[in-house]
Amino acid sequence: MIVSMKDIVKRYQSHTALDHLNLSVNQGESIGLLGPNGAGKTTAIRVLTGLTGADSGEVMLFDSPMKENAADIKKRLGVVPQDLALYETLSARDNLEFFGKLYGIKGAELKTRVDETLEILGLTDVAKKAPKKFSGGMKRRLNIGCAVIHKPELLILDEPTVGIDPQSRNHILDFVVDINKKGTTVLYTSHYMEEIEKVCSRVCIMDSGNVIADGSVEEITRSVIFEEVIYLEVKEPSPSLPENIKKIQGVKSCDVDGRNLTIISKSDSQNLARILEVATPFIILGVSANRPTLEDAFLSLTGKKLRDGDA
Amino acid sequence: MKQFLAVFFMGFKYLWRNPLTVSVIICFPIVFILILGNALSSYITPVLDFEPLHIMYVTDNEESMFAEFLKTEDISRFLDIEITDEAQAVQSVTDNDICVAIFEKNGEISIIKSSVSSVGTSVVLAVIDSYIQVSAAAEIAIANGANPFEVFRAINSEFAVDAVPLGNRVPNAMDYYAVTMLVYIMLLAGMNGLELFNKSLISDTGRRIMTAPVSKSTLICGLVAASTLTSFLQGMITFVFTALVYGVYWGERIPLVLVTLFAVVLLSQALCIFLILLFNNPGPPVAIIQATFFITTFVSGGYAKISFGGAADKVLAYAPNALAHTVIFGAIFGGNEGRMMFSLALLFALAIVFFVLAFFVGRRKLA
Repeated sequence: MIVSMKDIVKRYQSHTALDHLNLSVNQGESIGLLGPNGAGKTTAIRVLTGLTGADSGEVMLFDSPMKENAADIKKRLGVVPQDLALYETLSARDNLEFFGKLYGIKGAELKTRVDETLEILGLTDVAKKAPKKFSGGMKRRLNIGCAVIHKPELLILDEPTVGIDPQSRNHILDFVVDINKKGTTVLYTSHYMEEIEKVCSRVCIMDSGNVIADGSVEEITRSVIFEEVIYLEVKEPSPSLPENIKKIQGVKSCDVDGRNLTIISKSDSQNLARILEVATPFIILGVSANRPTLEDAFLSLTGKKLRDGDA
Repeated sequence: MKQFLAVFFMGFKYLWRNPLTVSVIICFPIVFILILGNALSSYITPVLDFEPLHIMYVTDNEESMFAEFLKTEDISRFLDIEITDEAQAVQSVTDNDICVAIFEKNGEISIIKSSVSSVGTSVVLAVIDSYIQVSAAAEIAIANGANPFEVFRAINSEFAVDAVPLGNRVPNAMDYYAVTMLVYIMLLAGMNGLELFNKSLISDTGRRIMTAPVSKSTLICGLVAASTLTSFLQGMITFVFTALVYGVYWGERIPLVLVTLFAVVLLSQALCIFLILLFNNPGPPVAIIQATFFITTFVSGGYAKISFGGAADKVLAYAPNALAHTVIFGAIFGGNEGRMMFSLALLFALAIVFFVLAFFVGRRKLA
């Protein structure tokens, strides 16, 4: 197991930021951390990266306690903070070299790693330029480059795509997916559900300092959202049609308004096909279904919309 | 060690690639000395191309040091001084016949001025200012063991004359001013590194660095080393500038002068890193350092000697400026060796104390 946080408590005066948090990450996983503002995500990452100590509980990384082996553990860790952590008057190459040296890389190996990283992140042409002249997307990419120059085993990204253009965002997402495929374990926080769905195989939703849901996107939505809404438009529906639909197992209700039918069904019942079969004798003009999303699950679990409330 | 060097080289490069820092490092001391030093330098007198300004001088002692000072050749190039009585001087100023009259009574100097010539008033004020500098220089020289008779003889005969390396040399005004300003500039030099310290310790970049396998002490030492070297180079630029442009006499014990400057730079850096770690913000350190060293420069005789008398003067003799002045003036003009070494040791000790405090605060406050 790459990460094991057991029963972590962290208090700031009277505020409990982490309340007996339990979180584990297996090798090779790509895990997304979601939560509204004040859920404890940032504190969890600060504890995980050794920036702050926990009041109680146990943090193990690479099967080793963080408290005792911080230096060794940090060598295997890559951190991309939400805010840019670059020296804006130094060149992109200087920034990468500096962070590389902090991780003990030197000489020819350092040069090779820097060249590789610049190439992968599409920054080779601007290697000698200072980041202050870069676009937001280029700065973000360099920010990530500084975290991966030493090829970490665990890469922690805290909202790495905030405020950048779609092209740079796609570049970064593709990079994270690629680095995960090559074996790097990824812990990713984001406001953007589609990023989490693209990058992460597993999602943890945090609220009030603890994990309240943990699993794949599908598992979480199924476990939380129990209903789906199917809309059917039928030419001249008979009175028997809604009655027949209601008889299908898992269908909770079927309301008729003219030629529009609104059907509420259990979300995991896969009833759409059965409903269409019952409606086949009629002329079907249109059909649509509102399937539950991770956003719905998040709202249901935390009572807050992700992009409005998270930070 | 490799991490220390990585931080050091990054910090050094960062400071020299920051246009604002570079302009402060190179231009600030030169402009500072150019502007203020011109009042004292003999180098500007040849370019003064005007008829001597007619003024009146009222004194109760025509053989006073100030009276002798006014009689020097350099002063008479631009001041035509008429010694007269108080009534006539006041009447002449009132009638706008002259722009300024100088009064010296019981050793105190004052002026009255007309409303017609602010330029003339400025010239007279600059002359008085120069005299105050020379007096302060004399005071320092005597305090450092120079012969009072030689000092006063030299003041009256050598003001605004190029430095002549005599065995028992005393400082002329510019020699004195160069030392006090260089010490002052070096005490402020710690602020050169504040932005680097803030970036690398306090800001998001600092927190990011702390997630890397680098110790707090290595980080602090590397940053301070980079800033110290940069500030010391700033001191060297000023040092060379004053020697070449103003012909300031730095004596024959240059290594001791440079070691003292290094101690001053180190103390300034230590104080800055301690304060920024204490406040988590570069604002308060800037305010504290500027205010503190402005005051200590004055009380140490940096511009016009201020005496509080008694115990206060004894305590203020241990202000960083005063300690540095003791060593440097002693090295140049011959001072009490024991007192010089004690002052130098105290400067290093103060620097170490602030470093220890900085590490202590850093351990608690840094991630």
